[in-house]
Amino acid sequence: MSTEPKAAPSGAREPWAEFARALTDPAQARGKPEALDDLLVLDCSHANMAGLFASSILAEFGATVIRVEPPGGDVARQFSPEGLRHVDTGLAYLVEGRNKHHVTLSLEHAEGRLLLRRLAAKADVLIESARPGQMDAWGLGYRQLSQLNPGLVYVAISTYGQFGPRAASPIPDHDLTNQALSGVPYVTGEPGPPEGPQPHAVPTRQGNWAGWYFGGAWAAFAVMVALAWRAASGRGQLCDVSPAEGEGRMTDYAVHWYHSHRQTWERAGAFNISIFPYTLIRTKDGYSFIAGFSDPNWTGVTNIMGRPDLKERFPTPRDRTAADKQPEIHRELEAWSAGLTSQEVLDRVMDYMLNKRGPGTVASARVNRPKDTLEESHWWERGVFQRVEDPHYGSLLLQAPPWKLSRTPPRIKWACRPVGADNAGVYARYLGIPPSELESLRARGVI
Amino acid sequence: MPSEQSYFEWTAELFERSRIFDKPEALKGVRVLELTTLILGPSTADFLGEFGAEVIKVELPPGGDTMRYVTPRGTFWKNASLGFFPENHSKHHVAIDLHKEEGKGLFKRLAARADVMVENFRAGTLDGWGIGYRDLSAVNPRLVYVANSGFGQWGPFSHGRASYDAVAQTVSGMIGITGFPGRPPITCGIFIGDWFGALMAATSALIALHHRRRTGEGQFIDYAQSEGLIRSLDWTWLHAGLTGREREPIGNRDRALGAADIVRCRDGFVAVAAVTDAEFRGLCQAMSTPALADDPRYATLAARLEPAHGDAIRRQVAEWAADLGRADVEGLGEKHGFAAARVATARDRYEDPHLRARGAVWDYEDGLYGDMVEQGPAPKLSATPGRIRWAARPVGWHNEHVFRTILGLSPSEIQALQDQGVVGRWGERVGAKPPDGATADGRIA
Repeated sequence: MSTEPKAAPSGAREPWAEFARALTDPAQARGKPEALDDLLVLDCSHANMAGLFASSILAEFGATVIRVEPPGGDVARQFSPEGLRHVDTGLAYLVEGRNKHHVTLSLEHAEGRLLLRRLAAKADVLIESARPGQMDAWGLGYRQLSQLNPGLVYVAISTYGQFGPRAASPIPDHDLTNQALSGVPYVTGEPGPPEGPQPHAVPTRQGNWAGWYFGGAWAAFAVMVALAWRAASGRGQLCDVSPAEGEGRMTDYAVHWYHSHRQTWERAGAFNISIFPYTLIRTKDGYSFIAGFSDPNWTGVTNIMGRPDLKERFPTPRDRTAADKQPEIHRELEAWSAGLTSQEVLDRVMDYMLNKRGPGTVASARVNRPKDTLEESHWWERGVFQRVEDPHYGSLLLQAPPWKLSRTPPRIKWACRPVGADNAGVYARYLGIPPSELESLRARGVI
Repeated sequence: MPSEQSYFEWTAELFERSRIFDKPEALKGVRVLELTTLILGPSTADFLGEFGAEVIKVELPPGGDTMRYVTPRGTFWKNASLGFFPENHSKHHVAIDLHKEEGKGLFKRLAARADVMVENFRAGTLDGWGIGYRDLSAVNPRLVYVANSGFGQWGPFSHGRASYDAVAQTVSGMIGITGFPGRPPITCGIFIGDWFGALMAATSALIALHHRRRTGEGQFIDYAQSEGLIRSLDWTWLHAGLTGREREPIGNRDRALGAADIVRCRDGFVAVAAVTDAEFRGLCQAMSTPALADDPRYATLAARLEPAHGDAIRRQVAEWAADLGRADVEGLGEKHGFAAARVATARDRYEDPHLRARGAVWDYEDGLYGDMVEQGPAPKLSATPGRIRWAARPVGWHNEHVFRTILGLSPSEIQALQDQGVVGRWGERVGAKPPDGATADGRIA
């Protein structure tokens, strides 16, 4: 049992922020229990950051994750900007190698498949990202493994999913195609200018691997839902996760608007078609975000700007979201912000908010480059970034798990392991394979 | 093993959409209480609700959730904002005035009977109202309390600072690495930080419930959506830590995968990605330039990650695709084993028979709003599939049902609370009220 600080008697409570910090400070995480330390997870994903992120989430919360790679290593170990390697490993994999046991096993080899079946018989969760039908053809699909282990939660990740008219499509699961199918890039980016096509005024992807990361988060969510059902029924199930649909679930009301008004949502740059102002504005030293879109919050914005006339000119949300009005209001905002730095814009907003100088809630923030974010103490105090000292890979700057749980906080225990580094330990512990036999398995290309 | 059935015949049967309502729900019996607005909070509860949790959404009467007034170009539909639907499915909508002591008492009684509480107020707000974690965990130690916010419950930025989705996009650096070089920054077309934040928060609620099954203990979860986006920025931070260099926006290229881009074709845009050597060989065959796959400049992933080599490939792909249709490029991807997919519009997705068959685009007849088409539950679970049972409802729609069945209040007690203004319903405001002509049982007359 873990303990939590007791609340002081009502009326004499310590400030919320202090209480919340004492409850959840990640600096205390190591002394607390782990929520998922009863789980064994096999991550057999291949060339797929969605699978790796899913198993990272489970590993951060304490699951034992066996990362199964082909002999020679997952090609995902090569994913890296300009191919940059650190201790022979690409950066993307190093970020998602955390807390996992890295073993090799050839699923193309009959003996390898037998070993995976033996591992799956003991596992709680299996994650794969093969083309739909491939694992089944190998005798490693949910149909076969559920016979061995009816409680197994089996997660299959693929762009088009395991059923439906396009399920048999053999295309590999990649981030960019997942993003494209989700509908998000179509509504992201600069609108086409009147002078004709421009290379920058096109549907635009999120700079990060949003398709893969969101897909991976959905996979972890599905695992937890399925484990709740297993706790009730004793039964596992097949979780079919399409990262394209996972990101597509997040497309606001694009499908609804087409349904209700046959309107197709188009790109709007830094404008939002439903709320305004909720936009990016140029400042003396960069760009800032500013928002105050409901009537009282818009009042707040115009008060901060010292422009009550704008409130009279654009009194309702409809006045402010009209396609021709947004650029007009935007010009007024930029006329104001042109003389201020992004910090000064934020200072004025915070002065208005904290000193309650008028009605409305206004939000602002400087548009950060990643290195700007790294310089802000807030994230470091909250343990969002962590320098992990890894015995093999040295000092690595990693993003820590973002949740702060009072009793079972997630944590990074180690960063990564080289290809096959845990073969001896894992195969001995789970399958009783002695070191002498490992050598022979290696020689035959099984591990 | 029934070997006579092909894999896809088997999956078609296993996931058959018409059987969804005959299957159990994984989270049945989990009661979620939400006191939330906009998207981050409501969708955290919604994702749990899609898989069977009973969600009680508490709003302040008479206007309710701000999202009831967020709708494209100010266009309402059947007296509802379109913005309110996608994160409010199958919920029980009640309206309680939490500025009144009696309202707080009522809320605490609901919390005493809940498994999960979700909120997304500014840090400390509900604690100040006397209905925060300290208060609710005292009446229900098994409660999993999810506090969603922009910057977290503590730390320098948490003090009084408001946040929205795009603030998280901004402070996380996501906007900084997105878009084309030398251009003004853009926001993501959707409320991406809210939705992803909600997914992460919902996952942590399920993890906390797993811990509760083992120990009986509830707990507190501080989730900041900006920190979630930071987590999702893949190699950004490690790269900065190792090289000291900034990650610049680079448009639709992918510095870590090589041959990937969004290109213009005859009838729209298409995304193409060929990452492994085998996929790249397939792409070269599709472009009728098979020799490229053996050219040392392109033959390995490491070679393709050289910027000059990657650029050359992308130019070639753009020229090749320009005269093709989106479906042609997709077909060639399927034939040759590389990834190719249209940059889908809302209409593409609405009309896609594949997404309909999977319930990713979910059509149903709602008792109040009639024919609905929405995004359906994202992961497809074979034994306990997610589902939409009904659409969002007006403010206070389920007051009687919730207060009677969960708190056991009598009709006269509920009436008294209404008379005192502790419990409320929609006013005449568009966004809060039912469609014109709706009868009390929700039918359109």
